[in-house]
Amino acid sequence: MKEARRRENIAGYIFMAPSLLFFLGFVIFPMGMCLVTSFFNYTMTDFSFVGLNNYKEMFGDPIFSKALVNTIIIVVVSVPVTCMFSLWVASIIFKMRPLNTSFFRCVFYLPVVTGSVAVTVVWKWIFNNYTGVLNYLFKSLGIISKNMNWLGDPSTALWCIITILLTTSVGQPIVLYVSALSNVDHSLTEAASVDGATNMQVFWRIKWPQIMPTTLYILVITTINSFQCFALIQLLTSGGPNNSTQTIMYYIYYQAFKLNRYGYGSAMGIILAIIIAVFSAIQFRLAKTDNG
Amino acid sequence: MKKLLALLLCLMLMIPAFALADGVEITLWTYPIGSWTDDATVASLIADFNAAYPDIKVNVQFLDYQSGDDQVTTAIEAKTTPDVIFEGPERLVANWGAAGKMLDLSDLFETEEGKTIYETVSGSCKGADGKYYEYPLCMTTHCMVINKKAFEAADAMKYINEETRTWTTEDFENACRALTEAGFTPVTGIVYCGGQGGDQGTRALVYNLYSGTFTDETFTTYTMDSEANIKGLQKLYDMVQEGIMTVDPGIVAGDAISLFCNGTASMCFCWNAALETNNKDTLAENVEPYAVAFPSDDGVPTLDGGIWGFGIFDNGDEARANAAKEFIKFMCNDATQAPKSVYATGYFATRAIGDIYTGTEKEANAAYDAFSPYFGGYYQIAPNWAAQRTAWWNLLQRVFASGNVADEVAVYMTEANAK
Repeated sequence: MKEARRRENIAGYIFMAPSLLFFLGFVIFPMGMCLVTSFFNYTMTDFSFVGLNNYKEMFGDPIFSKALVNTIIIVVVSVPVTCMFSLWVASIIFKMRPLNTSFFRCVFYLPVVTGSVAVTVVWKWIFNNYTGVLNYLFKSLGIISKNMNWLGDPSTALWCIITILLTTSVGQPIVLYVSALSNVDHSLTEAASVDGATNMQVFWRIKWPQIMPTTLYILVITTINSFQCFALIQLLTSGGPNNSTQTIMYYIYYQAFKLNRYGYGSAMGIILAIIIAVFSAIQFRLAKTDNG
Repeated sequence: MKKLLALLLCLMLMIPAFALADGVEITLWTYPIGSWTDDATVASLIADFNAAYPDIKVNVQFLDYQSGDDQVTTAIEAKTTPDVIFEGPERLVANWGAAGKMLDLSDLFETEEGKTIYETVSGSCKGADGKYYEYPLCMTTHCMVINKKAFEAADAMKYINEETRTWTTEDFENACRALTEAGFTPVTGIVYCGGQGGDQGTRALVYNLYSGTFTDETFTTYTMDSEANIKGLQKLYDMVQEGIMTVDPGIVAGDAISLFCNGTASMCFCWNAALETNNKDTLAENVEPYAVAFPSDDGVPTLDGGIWGFGIFDNGDEARANAAKEFIKFMCNDATQAPKSVYATGYFATRAIGDIYTGTEKEANAAYDAFSPYFGGYYQIAPNWAAQRTAWWNLLQRVFASGNVADEVAVYMTEANAK
């Protein structure tokens, strides 16, 4: 019996080995390297130990502070909006006929599977200062009197980025919520309705607790994606104007790949990882409390 | 049967290895320099090379300016750099050469052809350590372009000396005023500053207005805080305030070129011979590009230059390095091949090889040779160049947002001249 269990365990480990090796090689090892590198002045020509100097420099770097604030704004705005919007859409489309549900799932999932460059090019055209459709639309509706430079104005650029991020972020949560809502026990919702519960009560008392694991997953994934917002910034604004769209991810890229300061970039990467971990832990904690 | 099939497959996989057993395989990475980004053109050039050197196989990878540097940086750290790379001194010499990643190409400059390369060009291919990290193939001067039809409609061609294609700062200002009044296009010119793409245009615009310079003579210190340069920035700011010039922190040169080609803007501050060729099919009906020098107070501009050539990464393989040198010599020195190599770029040779454009599809490019006398020093090899480039477009964004030119320039100087 013991021998059989041992063999079973060995077989299990052998099956796990490929993905485990992949995980160790491409996740754990780079993370360790990033941590080690963050203590070095690592450039194209130098690799000398500097202790915590990279971290000290980072906390005195005004652009890093600006990037941190911008990143947190993106997360704080986009995560709740993504979750609420996804839940709202999913709660409407999951009741539809299967064909219609699939159609809307495809529509909302399309920006996710479309390449970021293609999506960005379209949005760049929408926001274009001179020939953009947004200016045309808003002027036609009398909302604005003259063209606005949406991506060139520090007061609007970050909100444009958040808007684009939302369109590319809602696809997966909608699909997940549709699935989660379909799995809610109908006998419970019917029983509650028969007992006189309103739609809101049915939602908050019956459905919400049952879709909480999905919500938690969506919160964590959306938070991580929002923290790692990079492609949109690189393709649209390069962090400008006046660093108004600078994010930690883009600043890491700039320091590491444009200035070849790999050590400093790694130090920022470590701080970003810690911040994401803290946010995720808070979300787990809150979700657990809500559920319990 | 299965074993036999497997054996055959293995043998088939090994065929390329046997085929190359007697030869050398090198890799060329090329940035988009004229038609050196076009698969068919480069394949044809390599076919010419292989006709002379059948035992050297050349693999090509095309880079773009958006992600090319990242690919090279990654390759350097992963020790997977190509053998040959085609780009300019700011990367080959000032960046990778200075970091000790490139091979010294001094021996190529000792060849008969190497000795005839223009001195201003060969000097730019040399690092601070005296070693040559680039063997130049072509060069051009960057200029700006106007829409001749818009200028004619606004009666503004009188502000341009059509013989020399130059104009003064005062003429430039008057032309912008006339264009605004005529309203032939929605905007006159756009000072783009959304990123570093095409920043040579905005740099040349600013420092030429009052005959300033971008660096000192030795290319070691940035000099944007000179009286002339501050005056130039102030002039642009005033023009924007007056409404005869536009600033756009949301676009880069590529966007500004598109806006010129589609007739939105009457001029564009990023242009050269290859751009004229590449954009000829994108021009709106009411657009007729006419290249001009940047305006300056005395009407004598100093133009930024582009010098492109080959460098060899130090991969520790002598056979590949030698093969790479043969490739470079063939492309740049061979009497028959060099004109073809240069023609593919759309620019001009770095030594006298005669007119290669007259009577060809790229005949319009020949006109750009008129700007060659205005070619200034190649200051792009100045230290801290990468950080300076970001500081530059951020400076423009801040200046046009706050109007506080002197203070913003002071911030830029700290960033650009940081050691």
